[in-house]
Amino acid sequence: MTKPIDTSIYTAVTDAIRTEAQRILSEGQVSAIVGYAAARRKGSAQPIVISQPDDAAKLIFTPACVNNLAVYLTKAKKEIPKSGKIGIVVKGCDLKALSGLMGESQLKREDIYLIGVPCAGVLASTVQPATELTTDSIAPKCTECDAHLPTGCDFVPAQTPVAADLEKKYAAEITRLEALTPAERWAYWKEQFSKCIKCYACRQVCPFCFCEQCLCDRNKPQMVDTTPRPAGNTAWHIVRAMHLAGRCAGCAECERVCPMDIPLNLLNRKMAKELKELYDHEAGFEVLDKGPLNMFTEKDDQSFIK
Amino acid sequence: MHSEKQKHTFEPKIIAFVCTWCTYAGADLAGTSRMQYPSNVRVLKFPCTGRIDPVFILKAFQQGADGVLVSGCHPGDCHYIAGNFHARRRFAVFRKLLEFVGVDLNRLQFSWVSAAEGGKWVEVVTDLTEKVRAMGPMTEFKELAMEEQWSGAIDTPELKEAYNQI
Amino acid sequence: MSRIGVFICHCGENISRTVDVERVAQEVGKLPGVAFSTDYKYMCSDPGQNLLKKAIQDQKLSHIVVAACSPRMHEKTFRKAVEAAGLNPFLCEMANIREHCSWVHENKEEATVKAVEIVGMMVERVKKNRVLPTITVPVTKRALVIGGGIAGIQAALDIADCGHEVILVEREPSIGGHMAQLSETFPTLDCSQCIMTPKMVDVANHPRIKLYTYSEIELVEGYIGNFQVTIKRKARSVNEDTCTGCGVCMEKCPVRKIPNKFDCNLGMRPAIYVPFPQAVPNTPVIDRENCIKFKTGKCGLCQKVCGPGAVDYEQEDSLVVEAVGAIVVATGFDLYTIDEKPKGSAIKGYGEFGHGKIPDVIDGMTFERLASASGPTGGKILRPSDGREPKQIVFIQCIGSRAREKGISYCSKVCCMYTAKHTMLYHHKVHDGQAYVFFMDARTPGKSYDEFWRRSIEEEEAVYIRGMVSRLYQKGDKIVVMGSDIAVGVQVEIEADMVVLATAVQPQKGADLLAQKLGISYDKYNFYSEAHAKLRPVECATAGIYLAGACQGPKDIPETVGQASAAAAKVMTLFSKDKLEREPIVARVKESGCVGCFACKKVCAYGAVEEKEIRDRQGNLIKTVAFVNPGVCAGCGTCQATCPSKCVELDGYTDEQVIAMIEAL
Repeated sequence: MTKPIDTSIYTAVTDAIRTEAQRILSEGQVSAIVGYAAARRKGSAQPIVISQPDDAAKLIFTPACVNNLAVYLTKAKKEIPKSGKIGIVVKGCDLKALSGLMGESQLKREDIYLIGVPCAGVLASTVQPATELTTDSIAPKCTECDAHLPTGCDFVPAQTPVAADLEKKYAAEITRLEALTPAERWAYWKEQFSKCIKCYACRQVCPFCFCEQCLCDRNKPQMVDTTPRPAGNTAWHIVRAMHLAGRCAGCAECERVCPMDIPLNLLNRKMAKELKELYDHEAGFEVLDKGPLNMFTEKDDQSFIK
Repeated sequence: MHSEKQKHTFEPKIIAFVCTWCTYAGADLAGTSRMQYPSNVRVLKFPCTGRIDPVFILKAFQQGADGVLVSGCHPGDCHYIAGNFHARRRFAVFRKLLEFVGVDLNRLQFSWVSAAEGGKWVEVVTDLTEKVRAMGPMTEFKELAMEEQWSGAIDTPELKEAYNQI
Repeated sequence: MSRIGVFICHCGENISRTVDVERVAQEVGKLPGVAFSTDYKYMCSDPGQNLLKKAIQDQKLSHIVVAACSPRMHEKTFRKAVEAAGLNPFLCEMANIREHCSWVHENKEEATVKAVEIVGMMVERVKKNRVLPTITVPVTKRALVIGGGIAGIQAALDIADCGHEVILVEREPSIGGHMAQLSETFPTLDCSQCIMTPKMVDVANHPRIKLYTYSEIELVEGYIGNFQVTIKRKARSVNEDTCTGCGVCMEKCPVRKIPNKFDCNLGMRPAIYVPFPQAVPNTPVIDRENCIKFKTGKCGLCQKVCGPGAVDYEQEDSLVVEAVGAIVVATGFDLYTIDEKPKGSAIKGYGEFGHGKIPDVIDGMTFERLASASGPTGGKILRPSDGREPKQIVFIQCIGSRAREKGISYCSKVCCMYTAKHTMLYHHKVHDGQAYVFFMDARTPGKSYDEFWRRSIEEEEAVYIRGMVSRLYQKGDKIVVMGSDIAVGVQVEIEADMVVLATAVQPQKGADLLAQKLGISYDKYNFYSEAHAKLRPVECATAGIYLAGACQGPKDIPETVGQASAAAAKVMTLFSKDKLEREPIVARVKESGCVGCFACKKVCAYGAVEEKEIRDRQGNLIKTVAFVNPGVCAGCGTCQATCPSKCVELDGYTDEQVIAMIEAL
């Protein structure tokens, strides 16, 4: 049964973001703000960087504001963080990524001004941006969201998102796959990975793929085959999932941008699930000194070791 | 000792990644004690299990390994204080990932073998070899390597027709 | 293009019995890059090594693979031979075809095939080997010893006697530590002062020991062989160089009633004081918190009476920097206090035992001061409350120790013995008194230790009750001790005049802070961690830092002295050469690719990874990257497996080498 999701607060949220953005820009608290603005098509949204107080009116928050803007503060636009303190509009999932980046010394809290967004969910696909947000059209990640209201921000509009109780789409799919035999799972992923064209959009969009030189681009030695062939594709996706284990904040941007519709975030979610079970680790708003794979306890599970 | 040599139709390729201080020394001890085990295993020596990158395991399977063994010092015995503890976490997670993409974990064995455990080395290697032998060759990665072309499913009639015309 | 030489050893018949060595040499000879391939009866013998050296020169070989026994056996031998022939030793690898092949397989065909593969793998590996120059680190032959108790004193004397300069830093105004506080020592009952003070004087008089008392470590920089240590010298208010130690100032000081910490607050001292008469140095220090001059600006009596004019109210804390090559940490212990601990603390106190509230419940160290001839009572056992001699005395062992529910699970090791000693001292001084001991187990391993403990029962009439005390309370001028005797299975109630608690041994307060300055690891109780529990018990994982005494775990005096000398021996080993040579199997950071996530730093157990700023010519910060200090790196490679972009690489075990081996299979 498709039910609408209450996004009525988004108008108020938009207003509050604009007022705050106008204030901090005119007071000189930040040199620029990364946020969302309306794009050409009706109902659509796109990332924007503003530096003039007057431009604050361009900022919006709608169900089409899908992007994780954290990526603009790391590799994508390296010059942005250099220009002074930056404001950024973050949903709960985006803030988790930012916290992870701070833990990995990629950002400093004092260099950013966090504008948190109370969020009830965003769209799965922006192909039809004017779509109403419903239990069907909502992004799968939002069905498992525990971070509708970011905390620890410099500013959060005083709105409370109404979190709908939704069927957890990833959890259901992971359970389904776990129940299969290894051969069936292999067949499933072989099919999925075979679609990959190695465009690396998943890597480009991921806030945690901030390496200057990706291991998978190396040729001396060639650890991972770089061509878009089945063997190399499989290796790439395994390495990607492993490198993000314990770091991925679950923004699912990889999956959203994949032109071949490979359920990429499923791998990351599975890793997150294992890390939760093994080491009680979950991506959160807290900045951790060490990620779960950079530390250990003497009592860690070793039931798999002979 | 083996009284008579059994003939097998399939000889699996087993690659072992071991640390130099415990397991490599344990394997040496198996040698000095003249213990016998299947000759399928090839040992790669590392200073510490902490040095062993999951990518190596992946690479080993891609290169045609039918089974992979990773072995190091028992917890608390690491020559480098804690390398094996870091490795333990890394591999606990990595094996779950491999399992999820459909690798049969019976082909991937982790163990602690100390410098004094020549017998355990023999046991671990023999068990893994026999287990993998019974499972047959690891075909998954080899098949991927065989498929040279981009293999997106040909699922529309137009594509099928175009493909058939090639 | 590499010209690889492969040498297959027969090892007598050890290898050639099951491996067809000629065939291996032949097959391997066909591999690309292999310029020379041969087999020989004993490669490790002189003729074998000469064969290798000659081939390197005649055939102009660039890389060498010796297929023989385990590298754990002869890698050094062959690398040396290769070096003698003019090649870098790290261009030589061994293929293990004995322990891993000929000895463990019977079938000659199988073993030969395996041997070919093993050698082939090493051929591919050696192609990727790089010239690695041996790492040399200059060594400053001066040592820093932190802590002036018996451990620090022993280590300092040993190192200084060997001819090296030593900086000895002590937090208190005098060296001596806890041992100077003890009355007599087990198992011989010789007077602690008598054996301790001569050593203290030796330190003071030693031409190569520089003593900084009333000083603390402020900052430690550098690494093995090359530490820079900043020491804070707290203002003593008395000039050490001019003071003669006559003691007139202390006599004239009008403030006289300050509890003396050295006497566990039982005795009193003036505001200008030395902690005890035999203090080294014998220079007083002004306790500024209690001095009238510092509180009100008046008085100044000590300055007036000081003949040499050594009293200096203007003195300020100062910093000195010392360059040293090695550090011995000997910060010792402190005793557990049983009073209630703040909420949330892992360590719970024994509020129920009335320490601090019932004046005649004291701890073991206080008893030592009471029993000491130079103590506040002149060696008489007297109750702190009314100065009477206690006729019934109860000792309770394992206070804090081995009590998981109280937050400490370890055994403090010395309490069984010192409690036995206490019962003897008590019996010697109070002939008509009776001592009772509540104990869980008597742990008396050590030379003449068990005999000593038995003597306390059999000859000195101490009554040992196996069981724990549940409660004690004041009743009139008595302390009622209620406990159980589990050996007999009855409840026991003793009306005691005094109760002595054998409280747990804990690391010094602030031990964790010092560890952080030093970059050494410590356990959950703040005891410092040795590099290996069995084989490297006095070394820290951080190279160049050594441990002595109870800062590493509870210890008695003989063990402490032994460990201190062992630490000194380690320092002397380090100082025996002008330059420290290290195997170049260390990690290196590829700075161009490093993104500064510092995952490597997080997993490094040795603190070898530092943060390094890369700046352009104008001095603008470009980025901060990881830097591996080759003097500290132990070469485990955990950083490399952790680095997401593989921008840190362990020489000798690079990804290129590993992948080449995997691809050879």
